Amino acid sequence: MTDRRRVLELRGLTHRFGGLKAVDGLQVDIDEGEIVSLVGPNGAGKTTVFNLISGVLKATAGSIRLLGRELVGLPAHRITHHGVARTFQNIRVFPQLTVRENILLGTHHWTRSGMLGSAIFWPGTMRAERAAEAEVHTAIDLFRERLEPRLEDPAYSLSYANRRRTEIARALAARPQLLLLDEPAAGMNPYERIEIAGLIRSMRDRGLTIFLIEHHMPLVMEISDRVIVMDHGVKIAEGLPKEVHSNPRVVEAYLGRRAASA
Amino acid sequence: MPWHKRLWESGPYGWNQALTRPQVLVPFFVVAATLPPLLQYIENNSAWTGAEFWIRILTTCAMYACLAVSLNLVVGYAGLLNLGFIAFFAIGSYAYALVASDQLHQHLPLWSSLITVIAVTLGFALLVGIPSLRLRGDYLAIVTLAFGLIMRELTIDLDRPPVLAGHQFGPSDFNLTGGTAGIHAVDPLRLPSWMPLIHGAAFQSRTYYWIFLGFLAIIIFCLLRWRGSRVGRAWVAVREDELAARAMGVNTFKYRLLAFCTSAVMAGIVGMIDAAYTHNTFPDNFNVQETVLVFIMVVLGGLGSIPGAIVGATLVTILPFVLQQLVLYKYVVFSLVLIVLMIFRPQGLLGTVSIRPRATMGGTIELLTAESAIAASELPTVTDREAADLESASGAIVAMEPEP
Repeated sequence: MTDRRRVLELRGLTHRFGGLKAVDGLQVDIDEGEIVSLVGPNGAGKTTVFNLISGVLKATAGSIRLLGRELVGLPAHRITHHGVARTFQNIRVFPQLTVRENILLGTHHWTRSGMLGSAIFWPGTMRAERAAEAEVHTAIDLFRERLEPRLEDPAYSLSYANRRRTEIARALAARPQLLLLDEPAAGMNPYERIEIAGLIRSMRDRGLTIFLIEHHMPLVMEISDRVIVMDHGVKIAEGLPKEVHSNPRVVEAYLGRRAASA
Repeated sequence: MPWHKRLWESGPYGWNQALTRPQVLVPFFVVAATLPPLLQYIENNSAWTGAEFWIRILTTCAMYACLAVSLNLVVGYAGLLNLGFIAFFAIGSYAYALVASDQLHQHLPLWSSLITVIAVTLGFALLVGIPSLRLRGDYLAIVTLAFGLIMRELTIDLDRPPVLAGHQFGPSDFNLTGGTAGIHAVDPLRLPSWMPLIHGAAFQSRTYYWIFLGFLAIIIFCLLRWRGSRVGRAWVAVREDELAARAMGVNTFKYRLLAFCTSAVMAGIVGMIDAAYTHNTFPDNFNVQETVLVFIMVVLGGLGSIPGAIVGATLVTILPFVLQQLVLYKYVVFSLVLIVLMIFRPQGLLGTVSIRPRATMGGTIELLTAESAIAASELPTVTDREAADLESASGAIVAMEPEP
């Protein structure tokens, strides 16, 4: 346990939308190879935390450290370069690109291939493109039977679940240190949810560290190493799934005071 | 399934893929290149005398095809509404006219003038692009439109020293652009004198058709290479979803600037060839109507489609000559055609991307595909049952109704 690297370290992370504190002094530590779930009622500030880590929003105060490197203030594309990849709550695949091209976008930040190089078939550029192509096959490894037949289809023609898979494969192709999954099981049927659970575990087994927002509690309880509960931008509980589950403050956050005391 | 049936069912997306394969493009360019001798042959062997006229029209077609394909790079691929596009055509044209005519008594050889043209258009593109590409879609359109108008005014007004706050800048005999008359007697393109057999001969008027065609082939080749590589994917990604592109590590500003500058330089080179072909350059070649005309070509053919841009350029150039009676009402006819097209086929003839605005966050003109709009409306929404399932499954919830 102790020799594990600390992947993510949030210290006093705060974000204000005008007068509203969406995230208020959040402290989170995630070690290498952990699956940590972030849960909480709607509007608790979970997605804001993800947006802050991935650089979509800029933190008002506090620090975000990835493997010891400060991320606050870096533009989103630099943060990806340092090893954070994410998926979105409302799936954001590029509809006009094929599945293959979508996944290739994941390799964008670690391949070097310029305009001139690709126009004149420069050997270095061709090598970079081949390496990216090879990465596609690694990235879809977990979804092979689902995505392989659809590789050349434009993403708008995919089913909802396949878009989700494409988005996750795209994030995997970015070779992240830390993978942020924003409600990966939303809109999925029970079978697909089971598949997602297995998927998240096998991604962890490959050495990925996973930070997860999820509403589907059985899924959270099953796969998480630790659960963090947020409400009104504040962390109200943290611990093993079992501990959090029976925490009175968590029940209160979901239902209100009276129901909790009843 | 037979191939033609499969192709038909693949829709515009598949047609584009099929039409941009080398097996189609190479024969297309070979046939296009043999048109002038063919027309000449027909004229020599029949009573028809239109060869010279039609070769000129073909040259214009090829020029507009170059412009349309370059504009397609910035509007169709990168989704940037560049309404000042024709200004870069003008800048290239004037840059060449200034270094290859008696205006400044400069007669640079081909390669030096080409480098000058590229440097000057690139400079202007950076000047406009760096501040304006940080703006969101509509504002970019306004800034570039203003830039186009300013450049045209400058070409008219820079025939006398600029006067600002009562102070005259420059000598009294200052005449840079020749005013409304423009610059005349521009040098034709000339091959280098060290080349054997040719010894610096100027290109004949008819050969410009092949020069335009050759340049078109080069930019199409580059565009297809880029579209299949990291750069082109990044362009389309920025157009489709800027936020997701940034999350995947794409420096959106850099890639927009790349697309903007590349397209501007292409337009500048076309302007240079055009100045050499017509031996002159004057402001009326570059008014707003020209931008509109090139936009009509691109939108008619289909945003993001190279074959579409060529078809659009050809149709828009040739139609006024075919329908001589309607030539005065050219823009009326085009507008009507466009309106009808936008109602029934907003992606254009061969395009896959619609120009209809989409109400989401992001900086580009937010192109929306008809297909993706339909697909989005069919996304499974969370039903009441699903919500109830979710809530009952989250063990923390013990009662749906709080006790009174």
